[in-house]
Amino acid sequence: MTVAELAASAGTGEFGHLDEQSKREIRNALLTAVAVPGYQVPFASREMPVARGWGSGGLQVTLAVIGPQDTIKVIDQGDDAGVNAANLRRLIVASTGVSDTTDARAASIIQTRHRVPEDPLGPGQILVLQVPVPEPLRGVERDMRELRRMHAEADYSRIWVSLYEDLVRNGVITQSTGYPVLVGGRYVMATTPIPRWDVPRLHQAGFLSLFGAGREKRVFAVPPHTSVEPLAFEDVPFQVERTEGASCLLCGAVEAYLVEVPARHGWICSDADWCWRRREAADG
Amino acid sequence: MVSEAVLTVRGLHKQFVIHAIGRQVPALRGVDLTVGAGQHVALVGPSGAGKSTLLKCVWRSCLPSAGEVWLRRRDSTAVDLAAADDRAVVEVRRHDIAYVSQFLRPDGRRSVLEVVGRAAIRRGLEPAGATAAAAAALRRVRLEEELWKTQPAVLSGGEQQRVNLAAGTLCPPRLLLLDEPVAALDSGHRETVLALISGLCRAGVSVLSVFHDLDAVRLLADRVVVMRDGQVAAEGSPDETLEPASAGGAR
Amino acid sequence: MAEPAPGWALRVTGLSKQFGRVTGCQDVGFEVAPGEALGIIGESGSGKTTVLRCIAGDVEPEAGTALLRRGPDVVNLFALDGPERRALRVSTIAIVYQDPAQGLNLRISAGGNIAEPLIAAGWRNFGRIRARARELLARVDVPLDRMDDLVGTFSGGMRQRVQLAKAVANNPALLLLDEPTTGLDAAIAAGVLDLIRDLLEETRVTALVVSHDMTVISMLSSRAVVLRGGRMVEAGLTDQLLEDPQDAYSQQLVAAARGTL
Repeated sequence: MTVAELAASAGTGEFGHLDEQSKREIRNALLTAVAVPGYQVPFASREMPVARGWGSGGLQVTLAVIGPQDTIKVIDQGDDAGVNAANLRRLIVASTGVSDTTDARAASIIQTRHRVPEDPLGPGQILVLQVPVPEPLRGVERDMRELRRMHAEADYSRIWVSLYEDLVRNGVITQSTGYPVLVGGRYVMATTPIPRWDVPRLHQAGFLSLFGAGREKRVFAVPPHTSVEPLAFEDVPFQVERTEGASCLLCGAVEAYLVEVPARHGWICSDADWCWRRREAADG
Repeated sequence: MVSEAVLTVRGLHKQFVIHAIGRQVPALRGVDLTVGAGQHVALVGPSGAGKSTLLKCVWRSCLPSAGEVWLRRRDSTAVDLAAADDRAVVEVRRHDIAYVSQFLRPDGRRSVLEVVGRAAIRRGLEPAGATAAAAAALRRVRLEEELWKTQPAVLSGGEQQRVNLAAGTLCPPRLLLLDEPVAALDSGHRETVLALISGLCRAGVSVLSVFHDLDAVRLLADRVVVMRDGQVAAEGSPDETLEPASAGGAR
Repeated sequence: MAEPAPGWALRVTGLSKQFGRVTGCQDVGFEVAPGEALGIIGESGSGKTTVLRCIAGDVEPEAGTALLRRGPDVVNLFALDGPERRALRVSTIAIVYQDPAQGLNLRISAGGNIAEPLIAAGWRNFGRIRARARELLARVDVPLDRMDDLVGTFSGGMRQRVQLAKAVANNPALLLLDEPTTGLDAAIAAGVLDLIRDLLEETRVTALVVSHDMTVISMLSSRAVVLRGGRMVEAGLTDQLLEDPQDAYSQQLVAAARGTL
């Protein structure tokens, strides 16, 4: 007699690792988050089989919303094969029995630690993001009460001042991840973990984005068709990172997020699956 | 009620109450005085007679203990400075009275031209015209142009006095209070300043002055008020009240 | 000629604040005309800083009203809630603290410190923010090549100048100055004092100047009140307070200051 058999015979079959109560609590938090786009909703973050800081928040969000008919895709930087992504995917599939895929077009839930997939996502798809630091104002203020007040009164001057300082010191705004955005014209949100390249893709998107921060115990959301505007001075427009003349060594793509391969003195696509399909199509 | 005179002082008393030593020092013991439009009234008398205190009671840097100090303003309204509230006095000082004392420190570390220019702005001149007005005023007191960029603090006593005069007279007030305006000046500059004061009176400015220099009084004053021990001892024309010049100008 | 000042710009009545058993201030009241600077004289413990901090909104009084006139409106500063107060601190009321580190962020640049009130007031154009910051820094005689240096690297006098520039950035209706030159070397203080005086005259802002230093009070204010133990002891024209103080305590203060005037 194993513990698993005992548990099974007790009839407490858990779908998706979390008990129903926990899922309900997280879903309530997520509903609030969707109702107030960009607002950080506190939730009671559980102990998960991944350590905090390794995607426990994103994982809890996924497990709270996933159902038997969903198809899951999990990526690390842009790559399904990363160790972390693999672990998370195994855990989700084992506790739910859902099918998994590397094709973003076929997935109903995509959990990511960094990239938004190159394929445009649409209605019925949920992007779940693993967030290390949810607070966009963390660099300019530490006091909890003051942070709450700043969000409550939409008093975001200090973060604008930090953008001013960045521009002054560096000539351009250098923040590469976690660029602050104004969501729904009301709350300033951190776009961690996604790179600047992907920030414009949240604006008026057809899909739902859910952000989970396990260590900080917060969730927030951007519902479909919501405005997401990067904070930028009117005379210094927001720009994505770009390396002139770079293209993917494997598929030749230019208009995609590329990562450097120093050993090869070149670049390859971050979204590994998308790149592979392009090559298949080209050969095809 | 109040005469047509620009300044009417009635029954003015001033006692300084010095709490630390529990003493009362009477400085003015019932003074009556009038100054008409364009008239120059000079106060003479020994030290301690109350002449400067009288000026200060008009300027209101001293608070009268009793009595009235009526000023007829440019707009013809009359105000009793002894009873007026502080804000009213600030207004009067801005538009109707000017006070040039030998003890008024030229202010700040700005240049002479800036000091006089700011005085012009305080009296209501537009900043655009203030510098020109300041330059004109400095020329009238014949302060050399090369000194205009220096700080008043490094000037001689006489030069500082002329800066004070320029600042105090550049927008001619209704009533000009002068406390020993030529005391620090050499004879050349003294003449310039006396001519300036005389010119102001001809232009309609009323002057109440304190002078040690009796020759200047003879030259400028329409009337002389002789003070002693806080009271008016005698009053009349310079000839009536002062000893002839040949007697050495003694009282 | 300038028009006569229409009434008051700030009217304080019955201002009282206790800190436990210590009286901060008790029943303090005064009026300030538009464009006028009122001096608040007192030694430490007199309540002068408490009065200023109540008006600034840093401290909440137990009793009193502070009516501020803004165009056709009159607002009671003590009847506002937190967000309303903070909004007023952006557009209408500015305070210069004795210690510039209290009014500035030492870890950002001089330009950044000035950018903050502008941004809070809604400025979103980087070029224009820079231009305005440059203009203000030039006005307070801070060398423009230091505009992007961290304020933490500035001397005390320079920091105070930056604090002044920041305070007048949004053309406030009411400027509060708390011992603005105390703690600065005498020569530096004199320069800052001149600057403040020029700014007050040029901008014609209504101001409250708190100081124990008679030189500061006499340079900057036309009228003043004397505080002792939280209470008003005397009020009058500044030169009259210095020339002919009536109250025994005022006389002591002025006599003690005589040597420095």
